Amino acid sequence: MKPPKFEYHAPMTLDEAVAALGRYGGDAKVLAGGQSLMPLLNFRLARPAALVDLNRIASLAYIREQDGQVRFGAMTRQRTIEFSPVVAQRLPLLKEATRWVGHLPIRTRGTIGGSIAHADPSAEYPAVLAALEGEVVARGAKGDRVIRAADLFQTYLTTSLGSEEILTEVRLPAMPAGAGYALEEFARRHGDFAIVGIAAVVVREGQRCKLARLATAGAGPVPVRLRAAEQILEKDGLGEAAIDAAARKATELVEPDADIHASADYRRHLTGVLTKRALIRAIGVARG
Amino acid sequence: MGVDLPRLVGARVARREDPRLLTGQGSYVDDHCPPRMLYAAFLRSPHAHARIARIDASPALALPGVAAVLVGEDVARAAKPVRAESKTPSVKTTSFPPLALGRVRHVGEAVAMVAAESRYLAEDAVERIAVDYEPLPVVRNTAEALDPASPVLHEDAGTNQLVAREFARGDVDAALAGAALVVRERFRFHRHTPVCMENRGCLADYATGIGTLTLRSSAQCPGLVRDVLTDLLGMPEHQVRVVATDVGGGFGAKASLYPEEIATCVMARRLGRPVKWIGDRREDLLSTTHAWDEIVEAELGVNSDGTVVGLRAEVTADIGAYSIYPWTAAIEPVQAISFLPGPYRIPTYRGRARGVATNKAPLGPYRGVGRPPAVFVIEGLMDRAARRLGMDPTEFRLRNFIRDEDFPYKSPSGIVWDKSSFTGALVRAREAVDYKAAREEQARARAAGRWLGIGVASYVELTGIGSAIPVSPGMPVSTGTEAATIRFDPAGKVTAVFGVASHGQGLETTLAQIVADEVSVPIEDVRVLHGDTEVSPYGTGTYASRSLVLAGGAAILAGRAVREKMLLIAGHLLEADPADITLADGRFAVRGMPDRSVAVRQVARAAYSGARQLPKGLEPGLEATKFYDPYYGTASNATHMAVVEVDRATCEVKTLRYVVVEDCGRMVNPLIVDGQVHGGVAQGIGAALLEEIVYDEHGQLLSGTLMDYVVPSACEIPTMEVHHLETPSPVTLGGFRGMGEGGTIGAPAAIANAIADALAPLGIEVAELPVSPERLFRLIGQAEADRR
Amino acid sequence: MVTVRLKINGVAHEGRCEPRKLLVDFIREDLGLTGTHVGCEHGICGACTIMFNGEAARSCIMLAVQADGAELATVEGLMRDGKLHPLQEAFREHHGLQCGFCTPGMLMTALDLLRTNPSPSDREIREGISAVLCRCTGYQGIVNAVRAAAPILASSR
Repeated sequence: MKPPKFEYHAPMTLDEAVAALGRYGGDAKVLAGGQSLMPLLNFRLARPAALVDLNRIASLAYIREQDGQVRFGAMTRQRTIEFSPVVAQRLPLLKEATRWVGHLPIRTRGTIGGSIAHADPSAEYPAVLAALEGEVVARGAKGDRVIRAADLFQTYLTTSLGSEEILTEVRLPAMPAGAGYALEEFARRHGDFAIVGIAAVVVREGQRCKLARLATAGAGPVPVRLRAAEQILEKDGLGEAAIDAAARKATELVEPDADIHASADYRRHLTGVLTKRALIRAIGVARG
Repeated sequence: MGVDLPRLVGARVARREDPRLLTGQGSYVDDHCPPRMLYAAFLRSPHAHARIARIDASPALALPGVAAVLVGEDVARAAKPVRAESKTPSVKTTSFPPLALGRVRHVGEAVAMVAAESRYLAEDAVERIAVDYEPLPVVRNTAEALDPASPVLHEDAGTNQLVAREFARGDVDAALAGAALVVRERFRFHRHTPVCMENRGCLADYATGIGTLTLRSSAQCPGLVRDVLTDLLGMPEHQVRVVATDVGGGFGAKASLYPEEIATCVMARRLGRPVKWIGDRREDLLSTTHAWDEIVEAELGVNSDGTVVGLRAEVTADIGAYSIYPWTAAIEPVQAISFLPGPYRIPTYRGRARGVATNKAPLGPYRGVGRPPAVFVIEGLMDRAARRLGMDPTEFRLRNFIRDEDFPYKSPSGIVWDKSSFTGALVRAREAVDYKAAREEQARARAAGRWLGIGVASYVELTGIGSAIPVSPGMPVSTGTEAATIRFDPAGKVTAVFGVASHGQGLETTLAQIVADEVSVPIEDVRVLHGDTEVSPYGTGTYASRSLVLAGGAAILAGRAVREKMLLIAGHLLEADPADITLADGRFAVRGMPDRSVAVRQVARAAYSGARQLPKGLEPGLEATKFYDPYYGTASNATHMAVVEVDRATCEVKTLRYVVVEDCGRMVNPLIVDGQVHGGVAQGIGAALLEEIVYDEHGQLLSGTLMDYVVPSACEIPTMEVHHLETPSPVTLGGFRGMGEGGTIGAPAAIANAIADALAPLGIEVAELPVSPERLFRLIGQAEADRR
Repeated sequence: MVTVRLKINGVAHEGRCEPRKLLVDFIREDLGLTGTHVGCEHGICGACTIMFNGEAARSCIMLAVQADGAELATVEGLMRDGKLHPLQEAFREHHGLQCGFCTPGMLMTALDLLRTNPSPSDREIREGISAVLCRCTGYQGIVNAVRAAAPILASSR
């Protein structure tokens, strides 16, 4: 399984990268961590005319705090995120989610920008972006634009990024101090993509729920914000009845697909199970 | 002559193989790159069933760097078709062309072969070959295959039922009709595949000037491959050399002759350049032989006291598109019915097997062959009967085991079990798991709403088979013999050469242990060569849990012969009667006179130093080649016990404890025995919970990547507790019993039974493997709906 | 064609290849280091794992050209002065390999695990080595080996 021929560019700056991408009329692909794209190339399922490799652009890897957000250069490695003190403090949900992303050697190369741009429906990072209401910055020939999570994921492996745009930055609002969080995932095997995963954030005041955020992985073509389930908690609090009701509501909000690993019914069932587990854990971690 | 006690047989000796494998100095087939080598790639059929109307390879040939393209007709001109003829009339032979001839019968079947300057180029070229296919209706499963309206896959067979066989004893219909209780079930063991970490591959080199063909292959049976290649290619046997390089796992997947091996030889001969084909993982999942794909309808009749009166079973195996060489399509289904009665006294029996062809990859041997599904069935029936009678499943088995006083016991399929430890293994397993405490813990867990289960599986397998019993009934090749050459050099070092082919089971170490003990040298002084027909005495290879029994037995015979010659030489050197000489710790000594002694090393030197150093008339040299045929075979047995928990919410199964008590007779190296058990159990757990080959309704393989065919990682396998009994085999030299396959034979049944035990309050039985969370979700949902 | 200059096991190398050439193939063919193995070419099995600038990475899903300027370490570099690395010794002592095909990838992965987590629990060992698939050992010998090697490696740092 060897890749087909392609032209190869390894620009040193973002401007060169955008320009290189633009030369191919949409038939070039961005190479970030390669953990998703390279298998597609090896299977010859992807046959781009050219690859624009971002790995030489040092300015694309950073973690910065700004304006209440944590901003990641798109080429920030998942491994870096896993061990980052800033992430541990400000975005503990992202740190937890990172431990579910494949295995350490995958995280050595995999990037936050690549994972989000690739938009695998079973991936953890898109669910976190959705749960935290993050946004991304995309650069094209015409300049930069900001895309909110809700507007980013369109369907399987498809975002609203243009074929000549590069995702350059991921921005996540810092989680409120004391927020509870959990990522609950069910997979056939440790490190595999989620059959279903639930990212949860809970800000509590005693038994009252000031804020609840729930987003799915693996329960449909894109991450699903379980808004109606969140509202149950925000209205009825964090007791057992509300959690059960929110979990039940979650199963009504998803339209999962079937594949050889799991049917739609089973995925729907898991959505409820994992929502409950995520909420219980998140509430347990929450301070307030 | 007194011989010292074994020093190495029975010891946990670190492996001789490890230094090179640990340091990246292994020599797998892809590590070889002779000068002028070309790389091959295969065009594989995208259709499950189609006529080939036209192939145009010219666009591929036009690519620079492409040396040749072969299609079916090219290979057919250069090599005879592969036909695994069976001696059993009801087993039909199919022609298995190395490259498809006019018709493709499964997705992934090889249609054309490219040789080019790199694998990258070869794949580019493969894409440019234009093939016109005329799709034919797809025969998707055995039910369709047996429908008279369906296409017949092999016209010369005239039917899709390629295998039919029956074993019977007594009047089982009457016994079941009169039984106090009959339990019946339709069991489904889905399709699996071995997934060796090293994909298949081979490197063929035809030396034009000399006329010799060398095939390096990731293969388990170099001797067997050499024999058949000489026939197919029309070359003299002594001009063909097959070398099994370091092989990255076999498990039966690499025990058959493959189309790619033949095609690579043909390409190499045509081009006069070495040609190497290394399969990729996609090809492996598509075209390496699959396994265990069976439906079994079975019934067990029991008296009210729990003793079995009869067992009746119909096995239908989906054997895929071709009958593989040399085992034939019969190997899987016929072994299933041969071993279905298990370690039990079964007074009446009828086992019927059918092997049915479909448009899927061919079925072939995989660790356990026939027995993983058979044990799933019989052990499942035993549990069902026990549950219905309110008996503990271990007590039920103890009541029905073949007992000490019953040995030798002739099973309903004619296999004779020699003295084994069926009862002993189960009793020991109960102790090891602390069965009473485990049941108490289960009761507590149940009361707390947790689904905890304990499963047991006992089995017996036939190993170390000699020439009286074909490994696959009716197969065209004799597999009952192996040989050993033991050769001393003048410095006292030993080369021991075998026809077996180690591929992970440490035969370079265990055979060295046996040889070193036999000729009383340190193990460092023994070098084991194997897997190379150029140097090996005649043999077939490593498969069917036979190598240690057969090659080990031959080593004992050859070692004895060498030792006896050394004794004569020592007698001459010590001026003593050989009858008065002992051998211990590498020295020959006159009994009672330890100062009158000579080292083995010195005896070896004397053997090559001319007539004065030798007794009158004794030929110089110090080597022997001996053949060993155990004639029948021997038995290896075990009991597995598993403790599992079923997650009530996710329906996931977690294996909490796994205990094995196994008896492989006299152990040569307990470290290696443990490793074989661990690996087999892991594959068995994977088979029970995770792995499944899935085809869709068009015959397309859906499980075509390692994300879709899920083999277990370290997180899915528990720590295994392995205990050993050592009942030396009464019928094999050395008392060894083969044991490589036991893990996969027992584990699927143990896991299945544990899950059923966990879910017994819901009335759920496990009749289908793998038990994926999805399947359990449906079973549990159905059971809960039924209760409402 | 592209030029690739890198350091592997401390030795500088230069080669030329197509941009599409996979790093694992470059290591095996152009550099002649066949200890790193190809098992799946889609990043699942881990047999191809090497150290890339000190961190374990799968070389079957990297391009050789991406290693230009990098420092790589492969299994061939583990021995020192003809002596096995303590991790290799532990694998030998605890029967952590059978066919040996996954072993180089397993060694590099275990090394990276122990560098990031010098005293892993058994559960953490299993999670760490779950990155590499083994069909022979059932993982038990490997877990035992890593457990035994961990304190030795920790004390030598």
